[in-house]
Amino acid sequence: MRPTAVVRASVVGDDGKTASFGHSRSGNTLATHPTHPWGTLVDVDVPVDPDAPPTGVDPGAPAWPSYDPAPFFDELVGPTGQPRPSAEELWTHLAGLGPTALAERQLAADREIRAIGVTFTVYNEGVGVDRPWPFDIIPRIIPRDQWKVIEAGLVQRLSALNLFIDDCYHDQRAVSEGVVPADLVTGSPNFRRECVGVDPPGGIWAHICGSDLIRDDEGFWYVLEDNLRVPSGVSYLLENRMVTKHIFPEMFRHYSIEPVDPYVGRLAGTLASVSPSTGDPTIVVLTPGIHNSAYFEHAFLAQQLGVELVEGSDLVVLDDDCVYARTIDGLEQVDVIYRRVDDVYLDPEVFRANSLLGVPGLMRSWKAGRVALVNAPGAGIADDKKVYSYVPDIIRFYLDEEPVLWTIPTYRCSDPDSRAHVLANLPELVVKPANESGGYGVLVGSQASADELATAAKEIGDDPNRWVAQPIIKLSTAPTLCDNVIAPRHVDLRPFTLMGPDGAYVTRGGLTRVARREGSLVVNSSQGGGSKDTWVVDAEGFNPFEEQPRADGANGL
Amino acid sequence: MTEPEDQDEVPEHEEGGGTMLLARMAEAVYWAGRHLERAEGTARIVQVHTDAHVDMPVGEDVGWEPLLAIAGVDSEFAERYHAAEDPDDVRAAEKDVIEFLLHGEGNDSSILASLTAARENLRTARPVVPREAWEACNNLWLNCNDHLVETHSREGRVQWLRRVITGCQCIHGILLGTMSRDEAMSFLVLGQNIERADLTTRVLDVRSDSLHLPGADDPYDVVHWMAVLRSLAAYQPFRRAMPARPQGGSTLRFLLQDDRFPRAVGACLTEARAQLKSLPHAERTMEACQNASMVVASASVARLAVGGLREFLEDVQLALVEIHERVDDTYFRPNFVGWEPAAATR
Repeated sequence: MRPTAVVRASVVGDDGKTASFGHSRSGNTLATHPTHPWGTLVDVDVPVDPDAPPTGVDPGAPAWPSYDPAPFFDELVGPTGQPRPSAEELWTHLAGLGPTALAERQLAADREIRAIGVTFTVYNEGVGVDRPWPFDIIPRIIPRDQWKVIEAGLVQRLSALNLFIDDCYHDQRAVSEGVVPADLVTGSPNFRRECVGVDPPGGIWAHICGSDLIRDDEGFWYVLEDNLRVPSGVSYLLENRMVTKHIFPEMFRHYSIEPVDPYVGRLAGTLASVSPSTGDPTIVVLTPGIHNSAYFEHAFLAQQLGVELVEGSDLVVLDDDCVYARTIDGLEQVDVIYRRVDDVYLDPEVFRANSLLGVPGLMRSWKAGRVALVNAPGAGIADDKKVYSYVPDIIRFYLDEEPVLWTIPTYRCSDPDSRAHVLANLPELVVKPANESGGYGVLVGSQASADELATAAKEIGDDPNRWVAQPIIKLSTAPTLCDNVIAPRHVDLRPFTLMGPDGAYVTRGGLTRVARREGSLVVNSSQGGGSKDTWVVDAEGFNPFEEQPRADGANGL
Repeated sequence: MTEPEDQDEVPEHEEGGGTMLLARMAEAVYWAGRHLERAEGTARIVQVHTDAHVDMPVGEDVGWEPLLAIAGVDSEFAERYHAAEDPDDVRAAEKDVIEFLLHGEGNDSSILASLTAARENLRTARPVVPREAWEACNNLWLNCNDHLVETHSREGRVQWLRRVITGCQCIHGILLGTMSRDEAMSFLVLGQNIERADLTTRVLDVRSDSLHLPGADDPYDVVHWMAVLRSLAAYQPFRRAMPARPQGGSTLRFLLQDDRFPRAVGACLTEARAQLKSLPHAERTMEACQNASMVVASASVARLAVGGLREFLEDVQLALVEIHERVDDTYFRPNFVGWEPAAATR
């Protein structure tokens, strides 16, 4: 569908009260969350000439699907309106099906998702409502050669971040050698003094990372966020594939699609590899409970792993510092806890005393090496907007390598040259307070009034340390079924990376989230966002990594 | 009928095995078993009562109140519907009773409430039950909600009740065919059989009022007894086991003491004992279970048929409550004092 008016990318914050999916900070109740793509304050005014002839449409071709993603980069369709080489089979197939058959398949998918009970919970005025997981049947395709680069980049990034976290709680070499300022570590609200000196197995703190990747209007990939606390979404990734196999079984003959199922086995292996005991480890998943918005995923993972799903009240720490589960056969020792409870709720003896979700004594047990916590407490120190801007330097410092994946250029206003650039280009930038979590004080240059710009400029001048700025990224689109029409909608991608002492693993593809409203950048499911199956396929085609100069400009500002 | 076996004394429970079952999960599967059984049982009873009702001559029928009594919700029903009752017709209206039993507000034992509770419990217990079983239960619950409005007509109601019965059977089938015979399965089957035994005694209890026991030659006596058997899915098994004309004594003996028909009280208790053998710390519950089996097995059906059936069934129900309470005490609300941490010694 060709937009005939100004496309205004909407700006909607990630409301912590209603956020259900992917919101890794359950303690936050924030109006906006500037680091998520769906919460990133981005505004794109795109003038579109309503009289321009449609491009790339073969006059002999069927009228459906007519599709024009311009001016954005589209995942399946090239700038000429023709499918990218990797998407040709799929596109031809979709065209052959026609709108009615496609709508029927979407209905079948919706029915299946409802029947198998894939839900997410939305909270509205304190009442949780289970909603069927929103799923768009048109998959997104990523060629394998491109994926290999992303995979290497994600492993590199998580390796460096783990070294950084371990360093934060030990010698803080990164500080003493001038890579990051001391305040970035000890001044962070995510720095947990209780973790200083602790040595988790293999020095791994963040075993599971859900990264948010986006692409710009040229198709270049960026990491937007490293979610290192309790990232969600992997269950939906796995379920989306299952549903797609039932909805488009014929496509699996045309494509050699990398399977996603091995994730569960890899997760089990990663969890077992950090067990403090020598025998068969007893592993559990710790959930805040059935009312948590991600409960579906917690139960799904426990079921897939074949382990118990425990709540805080099911566990007890005895005088021997060991953790025990209350079973029908008395207390049984637990070796590894895949916790889906935030740090501050983990142990009322150490963190929030009024937390009912945690287990008194859990931190004591972890520090004594009696139980493994995945991810380790304190790992969130590296999941922080301020740290984000230093990740390229962190990679260079610990690994002596150039970053494979781009970080969005982030201007730190404490630097005089950067500050001058920011002040001179405010209308084209997103300005964010560096020290605050949440969306407080975020200013979108292109949307701000002259007064607001002047106020921001003054605030930056008064206290430059507080501010960072980023360019506005025009997110890529993917063909999405909207009211029986295939239309371009903005997407992001959340792959999951596992890291243990024995090695790393990246999901093949990830969870593609899609903003279903036209022009919207909000992919959050609680706000009308949907999801797509993501196929990593053996196909050639445009590879941005061949054109994307590595790391240049990634943070060199 | 058989006496409780002596080998019950020796539990077969094996220690360890790599899996553990949380007390909370055990409680969830136990209740899932009970609620599924209650939903299916109530559906059968309503279905059969409707069929029997149309057989009766006008004015001779027993009305719809017995259904409320079997479900044990007479007082809840009266609270809700009494005020609205037509003073000329003191008997509860079919429409009200059916609505109350199927999905009435204020009826925690309604079919829909039971399915909802079963679904919630299976949702909690997802990690320990087969994925397909949860999906089948979720699907049944969704379907029953989607088609609820159709139950206003008798035809729609028949379809809806059939959906419930086959849906529950489907879930049982999945569990039998795909679930490991582990501790979680034991709790599920335990819950199922305690509920079944309870339901059978309640059907007998309420029907005994309207039943003419041996000696009478009421032509509708047979219809009554056939309805009793059918509402427990027992008609055909009874006929095969006791090819006599259904009548009070033989029917009672079959539904109480048969050891092969899975809805007979005796068979339910045998199954419960079999499950307890594979559970740890089962001594007290096993004792209660053996006691209940003894009460049932030692009853003289010939004497009960003449009198004292109601008192006897009350004893059986109390024995079932005792089993439930000991299960609850031992496994769901365990006081860990004196329990050795199972894995602490390794």
